[in-house]
Amino acid sequence: MHHLSAIEIRDKFLKGEVTAVAITKFFLDRIEKYDKDVGAFLAVFKIRALNKAKELDEKLARGEKLGSLAAIPIAIKDNIHVKGEITTCASKFLTNYKAPFDSTVVELLEKEDAIIIGKTNLDEFAMGSSSENSALQLTRNPWNLKCVPGGSSGGSAAAVAARLCPIALGTDTGGSVRQPAAFCGIAGFKPTYGRVSRYGLVAYGSSLDQIGPLATNTADIALIMEVLGQHCDKDSTSLASTTDNYSEFASIKGMKIGVPSEFIKSLQEEPKKVFLNSLEVLKKLGCTIVDVDLSILKYSIATYYILATAEASTNLARFDGIRYGVRSPNAKTLDEVYTFSKENGYGKEVKRRILLGTYVLSAGYQDDYYKKAQKIRTLIIKSYKKAFEACDLIATPVSPFAAFEIDSIKDPIQMYLEDIYTIPINLAGLPAISIPDGFSSDGKPMGLQLIGPQKGDVRVIQAANAFEKACPEFTSIPKNFSD
Amino acid sequence: MAKIDKEIIKNLTTLCRIDCTEDEQQALFEDLQKILKYVDQLEEVDTSNVEPSYHVLEGIHNVMREDIVEKSMPRQVFLDLSPSHTGGMIKVPQVINK
Repeated sequence: MHHLSAIEIRDKFLKGEVTAVAITKFFLDRIEKYDKDVGAFLAVFKIRALNKAKELDEKLARGEKLGSLAAIPIAIKDNIHVKGEITTCASKFLTNYKAPFDSTVVELLEKEDAIIIGKTNLDEFAMGSSSENSALQLTRNPWNLKCVPGGSSGGSAAAVAARLCPIALGTDTGGSVRQPAAFCGIAGFKPTYGRVSRYGLVAYGSSLDQIGPLATNTADIALIMEVLGQHCDKDSTSLASTTDNYSEFASIKGMKIGVPSEFIKSLQEEPKKVFLNSLEVLKKLGCTIVDVDLSILKYSIATYYILATAEASTNLARFDGIRYGVRSPNAKTLDEVYTFSKENGYGKEVKRRILLGTYVLSAGYQDDYYKKAQKIRTLIIKSYKKAFEACDLIATPVSPFAAFEIDSIKDPIQMYLEDIYTIPINLAGLPAISIPDGFSSDGKPMGLQLIGPQKGDVRVIQAANAFEKACPEFTSIPKNFSD
Repeated sequence: MAKIDKEIIKNLTTLCRIDCTEDEQQALFEDLQKILKYVDQLEEVDTSNVEPSYHVLEGIHNVMREDIVEKSMPRQVFLDLSPSHTGGMIKVPQVINK
């Protein structure tokens, strides 16, 4: 069953070929068998999932209408609320935080009869590119257990790659859905900013954050976007609902694909070869490749680390040990409640980003850093707009490298540079997908990134689907998890 | 651009209410120094006639609603989330000395 797509699993259930309970048990067994090696899940909802499955089997037996995600097990990144379950954000600070309400995305998934199977690991508060910043556990890459799964949605990506569930939700502030998807050889989609409601997501960088799906294939991504891409009154940045048909896959013949050749010229030989080969595939599908000037993007990382940390320092101020979270038992005064709780609760990277964010927002430096970065953000947005006058989509690699070994990158800047190709997309609020497009010489997957203009979500998924059909050999199950 | 020193780090940790050991402060100082040096590259970009972008969506506006009382979650739900509470209120250490 783990070789099947989410859509195929759902259809088997609807035809009565397999029960929802059997599907759920099958994936729970896989988690039991494999997750001790992978470490993708922070919590597995065995009883909750089986109860929902029983309910679905009864509904089907009664001949009732079932939702579009019927009996599909879905994992949720652990910074998104599932009512009554703990939301840890992979932080020691929130290990006791039981979400008092459902996020909109979880509500939408359950309304369509999906089975929420568990919560997945991440870099603490989604701050990181390898999931190594999780304060709770280490997640390994199913393709090579010595390597990281990417981050920050590393648990979600590893879970889908090892086929512990067919679909998972992640969040993407600077590449956190797309880069782990590339590292783990699956598809990951970051929608246009505002396309998917963030109500019930623990905020990191509010002008950048977006929830997105990870799946083994693009048809499943399209299916889930049809459910999640709705307007939500509870999110003030939510876009109006559309009648977009994500699953109508048309030919991409005649599409113009922009390539920022200046921006990718520093790529090393192997990833360059894989990327150029992907462009050949797109040409064979009838696309034309055009050069686009996006030289301003080289300033993306510096811009991002000012804006994201500024927003993070404000967003994380709420974790004070007063109203929720873990309060330090040693605190004797009110000030100590704040300082001791934060000291015990936060990991190194979180402290680093809060301090940097506070600095760039502080009196005397705000214009030099924060305002300057917002101005460069304007230039980045304008550059993309101009580029999209000459092309329909833009193609780049997802990451300059395949998955790296655990503990091999210690310098924070080197880690930040990992995200050079994904970060600018968030700065401009664009939709972008990561799809498998080859392997490194040592067998690690790599990803192609297709980027669309704002609200061009359907076009992005369509092109990815055409690419995936043209080279199915890149979508495979890691050897040790294929049984 | 502005330089960072250990005094600034100390001030920042106070502002953020993050308690740090001397060693941690030293490590944070070194990291922040490196990061700020890296972001200084933004000075190269001429932004003299550029407006800042505080959000990315065009035509975005404040979302308003009528000021009508709606049903909210019961108080007990929130109290149960707090580390310490008493008599329907969240409890913190004594703030004012007798």
